Amino acid sequence: MAAFERVLTRNVGKPEALTLKGYRQGGGYEALAKALAMDPDAVIEEVKKSGLRGRGGAGFAAGLKWSFIPKSKDKDKPLTKYLVCNADESEPGTFKDRLLMEYDPHQLIEGCAICCWAVQAATCYIYIRGEYTKAASILEQALKDAYEGGILGDSVMGSGFKLNMYVHRGAGAYICGEETGMLESLEGKRGQPRVKPPFPAVVGAFGQPTVINNVETLCNVPHILTRGADWFKGIGTDEKNTGPKLYAISGHVERPGTYEYPIGVTFRELLEGAGGMLKGRPLKAFIPGGASAPVLKADMIDVKMDFDSVAKAGSMLGSAAVIVMDDTTCMVRSAARLAKFFNHESCGQCTPCREGTNWMELVLKRIEHGEGSERDGQLLLSICRNIGGQSLCALGDAAIGPVKSLVDRFSEEIEQHVRDRACPFPKRRFFDSN
Amino acid sequence: MPKVTINDRTVEVEAGTNLIEAGLKVGVQVPHYCYHPRLSVVGQCRMCLVKVEGMPKLQTACSTQVMKDGMVVRTDVPEVAEAQKGMMEFFLINHPLDCPICDQAGECGLQDYSFKHGVPYSRFDYEDKRTYPGRERIPLGANVVLNMNRCIQCTRCIRFTQEVAGTGELGFFNRGARVEIGTFPGKELSNPLATCVVDICPVGALTSTRFRFAERVWYLDKKPSLCTGCEVGCNITMEHRRGDIKRYKPRFNVEVNDYWMCDYGRASFERYKSVPRLTSPRVRAEGGNGHSPVVASSWKDSLDTVLRRLQGAKDQGEIAFLGSGFLTCEEAYLFGKLADAVGADHRSVPVDIGPERTIPNLKGGITGREMAPNRRGAELAGFGSSDGTALGSDELLLGGAERCSALIVCDSDFSSVAYSQETVERLRRAKFLVVFGWADSPLAQVADVVLPVAHHGEKDGTFVNVEWRVQKFMSAFPAPGQVRTTLEVLSDLLSRLDPSWASLSPGAVFDRLAAEVPAFAGLSWKRLPATGEPLNVPGTHVRIPEPAADAVPEVAS
Repeated sequence: MAAFERVLTRNVGKPEALTLKGYRQGGGYEALAKALAMDPDAVIEEVKKSGLRGRGGAGFAAGLKWSFIPKSKDKDKPLTKYLVCNADESEPGTFKDRLLMEYDPHQLIEGCAICCWAVQAATCYIYIRGEYTKAASILEQALKDAYEGGILGDSVMGSGFKLNMYVHRGAGAYICGEETGMLESLEGKRGQPRVKPPFPAVVGAFGQPTVINNVETLCNVPHILTRGADWFKGIGTDEKNTGPKLYAISGHVERPGTYEYPIGVTFRELLEGAGGMLKGRPLKAFIPGGASAPVLKADMIDVKMDFDSVAKAGSMLGSAAVIVMDDTTCMVRSAARLAKFFNHESCGQCTPCREGTNWMELVLKRIEHGEGSERDGQLLLSICRNIGGQSLCALGDAAIGPVKSLVDRFSEEIEQHVRDRACPFPKRRFFDSN
Repeated sequence: MPKVTINDRTVEVEAGTNLIEAGLKVGVQVPHYCYHPRLSVVGQCRMCLVKVEGMPKLQTACSTQVMKDGMVVRTDVPEVAEAQKGMMEFFLINHPLDCPICDQAGECGLQDYSFKHGVPYSRFDYEDKRTYPGRERIPLGANVVLNMNRCIQCTRCIRFTQEVAGTGELGFFNRGARVEIGTFPGKELSNPLATCVVDICPVGALTSTRFRFAERVWYLDKKPSLCTGCEVGCNITMEHRRGDIKRYKPRFNVEVNDYWMCDYGRASFERYKSVPRLTSPRVRAEGGNGHSPVVASSWKDSLDTVLRRLQGAKDQGEIAFLGSGFLTCEEAYLFGKLADAVGADHRSVPVDIGPERTIPNLKGGITGREMAPNRRGAELAGFGSSDGTALGSDELLLGGAERCSALIVCDSDFSSVAYSQETVERLRRAKFLVVFGWADSPLAQVADVVLPVAHHGEKDGTFVNVEWRVQKFMSAFPAPGQVRTTLEVLSDLLSRLDPSWASLSPGAVFDRLAAEVPAFAGLSWKRLPATGEPLNVPGTHVRIPEPAADAVPEVAS
C-alpha cells in the first residue's frame, strides 16, 4: 500500500499538540474560523458532500443527521439544542477514540465546535467513558485552555456565537454508549435506552433536539472544512465509504494498536501493518468491528474494511475494532465470553435482551464445558431469531452477532464439543474460572 | 382524524392514538404487559409487536402512534405470532411456574398469554432458573408483598409510584437478567394508593397482604359496587365467595376514580366481618326505661310495634330521625316519607369527618373527607334539614335526644360515636329508640326495637358522591337469614299507612324520587349511565359534562 498521510492521528507523538498554542501552530482552529465565516447550512452541506459516515458503529451519514435538527423559527427565541459527543467507547476491542482524546483533545473540541455552529447548538456535552480517567483529565485541561483562549465561551473566536462545552463522565455501563441510554445517563437517570421514535434529533437531551456523534466522526470534521469535501471524498473505496479511518487491532497479532488507514484498506494489509499474526501462527477468524460484529472466517482475509464491503462479507464494520484469532482459539469459548459480556451489560428493561442474552450465555457455557446437546446449535439460532430486531435498542442485535456467526460458520466446532464432551482447545486462565 | 387499518378493519381514531387503543376499537386485542393507559409508554415487554406495512421490523403497538391516514397494521401474520411465541418463552424460562401456590393464578397475564400465544413445551431443559434467593416474600410496605422470582420486569409498579402516586418509592436495581424491583433505601411503599401496584402487576410478583392466600380467584363472585369508605364513591368490584367478601378492586370509571382506589377504601369491607352482625329483629318489653329484657321477635310484630309506638309518640314529645351517610338515596327518600307521615320534628344526617383522601384522575383528582358515601344523597332525598328550629346532628347527639319521645336511628353503624358509651347513653334517653342496622353495635344493644337490615353489599341503590354525581350499585349477594333490606322494611312500614308504597323495588323508588326531588329531575333508574350522572344542585361545584359545555345548563328554580 502506498504511503498514506496521517490525518486524524497527525498529532500523535507530538506532545505540544496538547496545548492550545501547539495545536494552533499546527493549523488548529483554522477550520473553526472558516466554519464561523460560513453559513451554518453551508457547513452541513459540506459535510454531507464529503460522504462522512458515523464512526461509532452504525455508519449513518453525519451531514444527514445534522440536517435532521429542526431550525429555530423565531430568531429572538432560539430553540435550545445540544450536541452530545459519544466518547463512551466501551465496545470490547475498541480503543480508537481514547487515542484521539489523549493525544489530540483540541481536534475533538474543534470538531464539536464546528458541529455546534452547523446545527446552532449552544451546549455540547462530551460523554466520556468512566474508565477513561486520563482522557477525561486531558480533555478537561484542553477545555480550560480553549475557554481561556477565547475558543469557547460567550463568543467563539470573537464571532459572537455562544458555546459551552462540558466533559461528563459515565459510570461504567456499556449501555450508556447507546445514544438514548447515554442521554438518560446524562440527565442523571438510570442509564437505559428510550423508545424510538421520537429520535434524539427531535427529542433528545432534556427533551430538546440533540445531535449525537462519535469522537472519531467529529474529529474528521475540521479536516473536511480545511481541505474540502472533494479531498475527503478522494480517500477511501467509493462514494459511500470515504475518508481516513482508525482501526483498533487486538488479539493474536504481533503489534496490537490503533492504526490509521484510508477507509477500505483490506484486512490483509491491516494485519501486515500490525506485524502479522502472533508468532506466525495461522489466522483462524477475525471480528472486523468490535464485539457485536459477527465473526468472519480466515477466507475473508481480503475483505475491504469499509462499511459496505464488510456488510457484504456477512459482518459489520462497526467501530472498526478488529479482533484477530489464531488457530488456538476456541470459537465456542470466545462466543461464550462475548455472550457473557452482553448478558452482563444488558440493561434489563426489555424482555428479549434481558432473558435472551442470559440464556445464550448459559447454553454456550454448557457447550464449552462439554455438556451440550446436538440441538443446541438450532436452539441458539432460534434464540437469536427471537432477539434479533425485537429488542428495544440495538444491544439485542449486537449480542446475537457473535453467537449467530458461531453457529453459522463454526458449527463443526460446536459438534466437536458435543461429541467429545469437552473443549478440544488448550485451557486459558482468563475464562476457565468463569 | 386519521384512519388506520388493523387486520383489514378500518377505524378512524384521534391523531396520536397508539395501536393498542386503536386495536381495541376494532376488536383486535394486542397482547401487552408493560403498557397501561395511565402510565408512560416504555415499550419494554415487547409483547405487543405488530406488523406495520412499510416498516422493516415489527413495531411495538404501544409506542406506535397513528399520525396520518393510511397506516396498515397486521397482528394475524405468522411473524407476529412467532414473535409472541418467542417473547412468551423468554418470560417463562426464568419464571418459577408456581401457579398452584400463586395468588395471581386465574387472573394472571402470563397464564392468559401463554394459553393464547405461547408454546406448550419448554426448551429450557438443562439450565437452572434465575432466582432471587431471599427475595420471595419481601414486604414492600404494610399492604404489598413482593416475590421477585415471579416478576417479569414490566416496571408498571415503578411508573405507578412515580407518575400516579407521585411518591416514587420503587426503583429498578441491577442490570440485565439480575434486574430487580425494590424500594429505595430507607423508604417503604406506604403511600395511600400503594395497593394499586398489585392491581396493575400482570403477574403474581406483587400481592396484597390482605388478600394473600385468602381465596383462589376462580371461586370469587365479582360484582360491580361502590366503596363506602368515604364520599368519593370509588367504583369497585366486590369480590366475595358465598357472601364472604374477600377484596375490593377498583373498577374503571373515568369520571370518578379512574383505575385506582385507596388502601383505606380497600380495607373498608373488613368492618362487615369484624363487627358482630344483627340477624333477627329484637323488641324490648315496654316500660322499665330501657332496662327491660330484650326478646327476639318476628318482622311483623316488630314493625307493628314500631308503627304503633311512633303514631302514639307525637303526643308525648318530639320525634327525631337520625339518618346516616350509609343510606342509599332511595332509603333516605322513604325515611323522609315515614318522617312526614309521623310528623317528625328533627331529621339529620351525621357523618364522621376523616382525613382527606385523594384519588388521582384525569381531572386532577377527587378528594373526600366525610367517611360515609352518601351524606349528600341522603340529605337531598329525605333528610334535608327542614327549618332553623330543628335540632342538627350535633345537638341530637349531645343530649337533644332527651326531648324526644321517639328516635329512629338508621343505621346502627352510622358513625364511630355509635360505639361511644357516652353518646349511646345520651341517645338512649329518648323514650322510644328504634335502630335499623347490620351491626350489633352498643347502640343497637340498648334500643327498644332493633331491625336487622342489609349492608351495602346486599342491596341495590344509589349514592351521591362528593362531586354530586349519583351512582348506582347492585347487590353482590343476598342478605343472610332474616335480614331484609332497609328499603323492604320501609316499604312494609309505609304500606301500612298507604298501600301505594307496598312492595316497591329500589328502581321504582328511585323513579318516584326523581319525579319529586328537583336535583334528580329527569333521571331514571334504568337509564342511569354506568359512570353515574352529575346532579343538578344549585350552588354546588357540580361539573357540567364536557360535551355539553357550550349548552346553557338548566338550573332548577
